[in-house]
Amino acid sequence: MADKLVVTGMGIISGLGVGKNDTLQALLAEKSSVGTITHLQTTHTDIPVAEVRMTDDEMKSALDIPQNQLVTRTPLMAMVAAKEAIQQAQLQKQKPKRIAFINGTTVGGMEKSELFYRDFLDNEQHKEFIAAHDCGAGTDAVADYFGIFDVTTTISTACSSAINALIIGANLIKTGKVDAAVVGGTECLSKFHLNGFNTLMILDREPCKPFSKNHVGLNLGEGAAYLVLETASAAQERGVQALCELNGYANFCDAFHQTATSPNGQGPFLAMQGALADSNLQPSDIDYISCHGTGTGNNDTTEGIAITRVFGEHIPDFSSTKAFTGHTTSAAGSVEAVISILALQNNFVPANLNFTEKMDEVDIVPVTKTKHKEIQHVMNNSFGFGGNDSSCIFSKIK
Amino acid sequence: MDIFIQSAAHISIQNPLCEDWFENPIPHTEGYNRSIEPDYKPFINPIAARRMGKLIKRAIATSVSAIQSADLEQVDAIITGTGLGCIENTEKFLSAMVNEGEQFLQPTFFMQSTHNTISSQIALHQKCNGYNCTYSHRGTSFESGLSDALQQMLLGRINNALVGGHDEMTPDYYNMLGKIGYWKQGEISEQTLKRSNTKGSFAGETSVALVVGTTHTQHSLCKLRDVDLLYKPSSESLKQAVERMLQQANLHVSDINAVMLGTSGDCDFDETYKRFAQTNFPNTPTLWYKHLFGESFTAAAFSVYAAATCLSKKHVPQHLVYNTPKPLEQPHNILIYNHFQNINHSLILLSQC
Repeated sequence: MADKLVVTGMGIISGLGVGKNDTLQALLAEKSSVGTITHLQTTHTDIPVAEVRMTDDEMKSALDIPQNQLVTRTPLMAMVAAKEAIQQAQLQKQKPKRIAFINGTTVGGMEKSELFYRDFLDNEQHKEFIAAHDCGAGTDAVADYFGIFDVTTTISTACSSAINALIIGANLIKTGKVDAAVVGGTECLSKFHLNGFNTLMILDREPCKPFSKNHVGLNLGEGAAYLVLETASAAQERGVQALCELNGYANFCDAFHQTATSPNGQGPFLAMQGALADSNLQPSDIDYISCHGTGTGNNDTTEGIAITRVFGEHIPDFSSTKAFTGHTTSAAGSVEAVISILALQNNFVPANLNFTEKMDEVDIVPVTKTKHKEIQHVMNNSFGFGGNDSSCIFSKIK
Repeated sequence: MDIFIQSAAHISIQNPLCEDWFENPIPHTEGYNRSIEPDYKPFINPIAARRMGKLIKRAIATSVSAIQSADLEQVDAIITGTGLGCIENTEKFLSAMVNEGEQFLQPTFFMQSTHNTISSQIALHQKCNGYNCTYSHRGTSFESGLSDALQQMLLGRINNALVGGHDEMTPDYYNMLGKIGYWKQGEISEQTLKRSNTKGSFAGETSVALVVGTTHTQHSLCKLRDVDLLYKPSSESLKQAVERMLQQANLHVSDINAVMLGTSGDCDFDETYKRFAQTNFPNTPTLWYKHLFGESFTAAAFSVYAAATCLSKKHVPQHLVYNTPKPLEQPHNILIYNHFQNINHSLILLSQC
């Protein structure tokens, strides 16, 4: 039998705070981080968001990076989160032979490009930020900070980027191309995507209410989260404790519309079903689904329909934690992977905050108060623009 | 397990969707060159085409063409590498926001601005529910996608995949990159690129679609043996990676008939290619391709396309030869080495079927 893939480290930064402990405490206290905009310079101050409370300068100080060094916010958040994961997995002390860094992002260096765009076009000022614009630049900045990576690449599949990063990292370990992978995603708020989502009219002016009848949209968030993956035997050899198993995963495409999901949730259905098949699990084995649950009518209805198609009469406990963290877009997959693993380790289902009443379109109700129970297998969903739908399953080590 | 490149199609600064470049390449003298657009009617409904940007049209045309040449109706996976994604739409949304403020923006350009628009529009066009992914990692975006397809075939997760490299170069982005040393001044020629002592290259655009698969067919162009991505490798670890790749393929240095390099005319970056060849393949002819197709974030897709074409035709045209310490034999094995600004490096091994 093939060697199991395990998670040996994880790290996170989001509106909920810095690190796993802040995150766990906020989840258990049912304390949302959605609030008013403070860092982002925008005229849309009425739109609630979940910002990472640290400023760029504070993150640089925490990371011992000189204040005058050019690093944009997206990679800074990534460094904070990846540092926690790398330390937990002891990748620097007990370095595996070849390590990959697979990073998901879409905004890249946009939060600076949108400030300096006129200079980029008209004069020589701020031209040092031109090279920091593309998605890969941030990934390599993170890799340089740690200096332990042999392979780097960047996934950009919008809101499912981080789960796809996990899938690619897992495949590279399975074929033996690398011995360990740090996988996840990072995304800071930018005026570009705040306005983009605003033009699509899918931003809730109130705290979002995933899976509720009166849901009107999502709240954007920012954050970064990373997992360290390796084989169970590699972890054992390095003397590092496995936190859980990455049991299986799947990536499918809805192939319906650039920004909307098909009415029967075909892409989400295939992703969940594929992750179950890849894990050799039955639907009844799943104890908790950490949903994509953005709070938009289109997502919640189609995800709900897809869940009923996969799980039939016996819908597992499910919730969306987007009302805690906001929608951290490219980071959402790994932010919620960390939350899923915290749920697995601490045996609880995080609450789906702000739920009002059941949707008309589909007969399902999320877990609305923190529920303590034994959890063996967690499914984590991430769906994105372009119908990029992925799902993965984490399981307790038996 | 053997894995094959089944078919390939390109739209570039050479004549599109054909192999004219193999016999009669178009020389380029300008610093900035846009792709030669083909007739899109055979591939895309003209009404739909009007709503598509250039890059999406090119991506769909090359993808459909490659899938047809591979005699397939559908693929198991659609994987795209793109350095900048749909940058034209990104720029339109960004300039509207910067120039006109945040109040009256339209959603269309935002919706079509995400990097994964390319893969998702191909999936929509093909009605393909299979694996779908997009890599945006500077100069190794395409190779990342090719590696993904390879790993998944080795693991038995898929049997074939459409792998593309797609990048457009808008006038504004060309100018921006010019400010940070990407482009040469003055007239470009093969000789100026070869004898260059200045930074930068000349700009082209990339749309390359390949179908890779696990079944050998009469159309198969060559074998895809291995793909390696390396981050800032030392010269020693690069050497080890070459040795490991050859060893796993059961080949010796002397079995490599030619080394294809991403030589571009940038005096610093070309030095790395020279050193690579001298260190690892001192007696092997070297080839280049960027003098035909120009520089772009996914230009490396042309290296695979050009090398696969040579292996399929069992012949290397003289215009691809950069340097020959000895006469060029019929090519059986070609090793491809590209690097992006000495940061992201890739090795790809192709063999005759």
